[in-house]
Amino acid sequence: MLKDKEFWLVAGGISLAFIIYWLSGYPLFKEERIVMFLVIVIMSANLIYYTRFARRGGEIFLRAIPGLKAVEEAVGRSTEMGKSVLYVPGIMDMDQVETVAGVIILGHVSKMTSRYETSLNVPVSRSIVMKAARETVREAYTMEGRPDLFQDDMVHYITDDQFAYAAGVNGIMVREKPAACLYMGKFFAESLILAETGNSIGAIQIAGTASQSQIPFFVTACDYTLIGEEFFAASAYLSQTPELMGGLKGQDMMKAGVTTAILISLLMRILFDLGLIKWNIISILTVQ
Amino acid sequence: MDKISDYILKAGTIDRRWIFLIIGLAVLLPLFFPLGLPIRATNATQKVYDAVEALEENSKVLVSFEYGPSTKPEIHPMAIGLLRHLFTNGHKVFVTCLWPDGQFMADEALDEVAKEEFDLTYGEDYVILGFRPGNEAVVKGMVSNIRKLYTTDARGTLVDNIPLMKNINKVADFDFIFSASAGYPGTVEWVQYASDPTGVPLSTGTTSIMVNDIMPMVNSGQVKGILAGMPGAAEYEALIGTPGIGTSGMDAQSIAHLVIVLFIIFGNITYFIETQRSKKY
Amino acid sequence: MIWKRQIPILIATVIGFATLFGWFIDHPGIESFVNDDATQWYDILASFAIFLGALNLMKLQGKKVFKQQSGWQYSLFAIGGFFFAIVAGFIYKGNDAVEWGVHVTSKGTLFKWMFDYMFTPLSATMFALLAFFVASASYRAFRVRNLEATLLLVSGIIIMVGRVPLGSSISSWFIMYLMVLIVSIAVNIKLKDKKITFSTFLGGVLIVTIWGSSLGWPIDQPGLFYLPILQDWIYNNPNVAGARAIMIGIGLGIFATSIRYILGIEKSYIGE
Repeated sequence: MLKDKEFWLVAGGISLAFIIYWLSGYPLFKEERIVMFLVIVIMSANLIYYTRFARRGGEIFLRAIPGLKAVEEAVGRSTEMGKSVLYVPGIMDMDQVETVAGVIILGHVSKMTSRYETSLNVPVSRSIVMKAARETVREAYTMEGRPDLFQDDMVHYITDDQFAYAAGVNGIMVREKPAACLYMGKFFAESLILAETGNSIGAIQIAGTASQSQIPFFVTACDYTLIGEEFFAASAYLSQTPELMGGLKGQDMMKAGVTTAILISLLMRILFDLGLIKWNIISILTVQ
Repeated sequence: MDKISDYILKAGTIDRRWIFLIIGLAVLLPLFFPLGLPIRATNATQKVYDAVEALEENSKVLVSFEYGPSTKPEIHPMAIGLLRHLFTNGHKVFVTCLWPDGQFMADEALDEVAKEEFDLTYGEDYVILGFRPGNEAVVKGMVSNIRKLYTTDARGTLVDNIPLMKNINKVADFDFIFSASAGYPGTVEWVQYASDPTGVPLSTGTTSIMVNDIMPMVNSGQVKGILAGMPGAAEYEALIGTPGIGTSGMDAQSIAHLVIVLFIIFGNITYFIETQRSKKY
Repeated sequence: MIWKRQIPILIATVIGFATLFGWFIDHPGIESFVNDDATQWYDILASFAIFLGALNLMKLQGKKVFKQQSGWQYSLFAIGGFFFAIVAGFIYKGNDAVEWGVHVTSKGTLFKWMFDYMFTPLSATMFALLAFFVASASYRAFRVRNLEATLLLVSGIIIMVGRVPLGSSISSWFIMYLMVLIVSIAVNIKLKDKKITFSTFLGGVLIVTIWGSSLGWPIDQPGLFYLPILQDWIYNNPNVAGARAIMIGIGLGIFATSIRYILGIEKSYIGE
């Protein structure tokens, strides 16, 4: 992270370059997308501000998320019972943000399993996820000073096909009976199959996903569920690093901004429909 | 009264396999002994029907198959119903697939409807462009230049040699898009990268689970109606006047839903008795 | 160390910014990169990476068979299925009249046979399991524990029944009589007075009966108590409102997470 002087130099330089570009007639720029551009710049600036604020020691309050507190409890339970932790990072590839978030949380879980010497089983559905997850787990074990406990086969590939993967994971659950099942990533219809099978073997289950349609199934069948943004907040929550926590605060402020914008737009649209103003706000909010 | 409560509590600890057996019978029996329950179309299904009816004769319709064998019972009936509707009204159908399984489903649907029922000619009345890997990149590619993406169709024929493909170079050359979708990539990608930017109207049919994701787009007018799972397929079959596998499955679904509701009510009675007893003691 | 840390972050930053801001640039080359090439690069990488996954799968299953670990017989199916698919896809067509490539979907080929008689029934079976699991999950989870759980339960029942033809066969008057019964039970639990309970029940039944008789007992009126109309309202209003709110939150979460990766703030994906 840049120091204050360096940061303002870089920011100033970029701003100056943009002003010069704009004043010279903004060649090649799609004018109809300027609103979106400004929104991205404002939101990014907001995130950077709060990240730097947290880095400088600013206090950030994070409410308790029961599902994340339960992760360590779940690993502890597995250790006591002498059983493994099953971690499912979703069924999609690394081009999905949720899968990357799932792999990041796997890193934190791996630190716990290495600390408690609990066995970890990570069946994956995509080859690139296998490589990324393997590296993440290897790094986690090395950082905890337990590279000897790491084995390549902890993270293993099953199949790309959705239901064949679900069948494979179900088989692992029924045969090995892990004490904890963690589902963190992007899921589709197989979510309930996995969660119900996990429930039938008596495992503690924690799920996290931003797949809207699968959230109800996880809420019904799992002990704890991270819903939507809580899942993306997990990395910050588990690591407690200032930068990530600041990013989380920035995200909350973005949401406050979006809510305010919705209310203002609603008011302006009502006024437009009543004929009290001539300017239709929907025209600038529509992405071209 | 206590004896009845005891019995209910005992029944409440039922092994889940009994529940599975009862559900299995609830689905199986109506398939052998149909009830013939009347089917009433919802607004969402009516919108799809109206959108197709509003097309001018000989319209060029792009139908995308994004489902596989697992979701075939829900989506295949609506795909067949839609094809029947399109061919009855004399439209030209272009089929593409964002899922590899979709091509198998498309072949089967078109064999049944276009070939056997309507006796249509491949290459003049309908064409299967086939599957291309790339998820949303395929949609984006079709929006800019179909012929760059599809040099041959699913049967290996050069696209330039197919009469129906004359003057079809990009998505904007179509009059209507229908996405029969079971997940990703699917309806959302078609709306984001094809329908919204080009203005070509789009309708969709999805699994019941996915309807929640698409409903905001239906309400905002970006998607012209939605066929929601097997009930949606059955409703569409009722609207076009040709009952099919969607309709025949609805009796089973009705009874299965009723059985699940009864289980839920029974479970709550058990919970209520347990709560009362624990308060008492 | 530079290869494991700085280079990956630099690649993520450059490609991330190029793809993000490329959307605003009106240049055919950049537009082509953003719309087509960027996503296709990934697909090409993923396609070659399948070899890694397949080798890992064969290694694990083979190890099980050679060491005769518990359940090794099932691994024979996994290995056999793998090689059977390779044979069907690349070695033996089964129908010489079709070309390679097209043979995957053509009638009479081994691959099509495998798809129709092995893959299709297996996939359909796994998806069908959902029906049983939904029933057992609903039975276990839908309890009237508090107000929110009760609302969930009631709306769930309305949608489940209202969505299917059975729901449209249930008259709204039946629902009204059911509501009179439920209200009377609630009054009895709350007030524990037989006279008040009986009066509530009788009054409710009379009102519904007189009202129904006057209208001629139409099955779908009043619409408020007709299950298909009610489920439609629940679907289009509170459900969509909740779905939109979650969608906005998830969208912001994805944006914030992606910006953190692009700016190099989040480095866990490289193991840091």
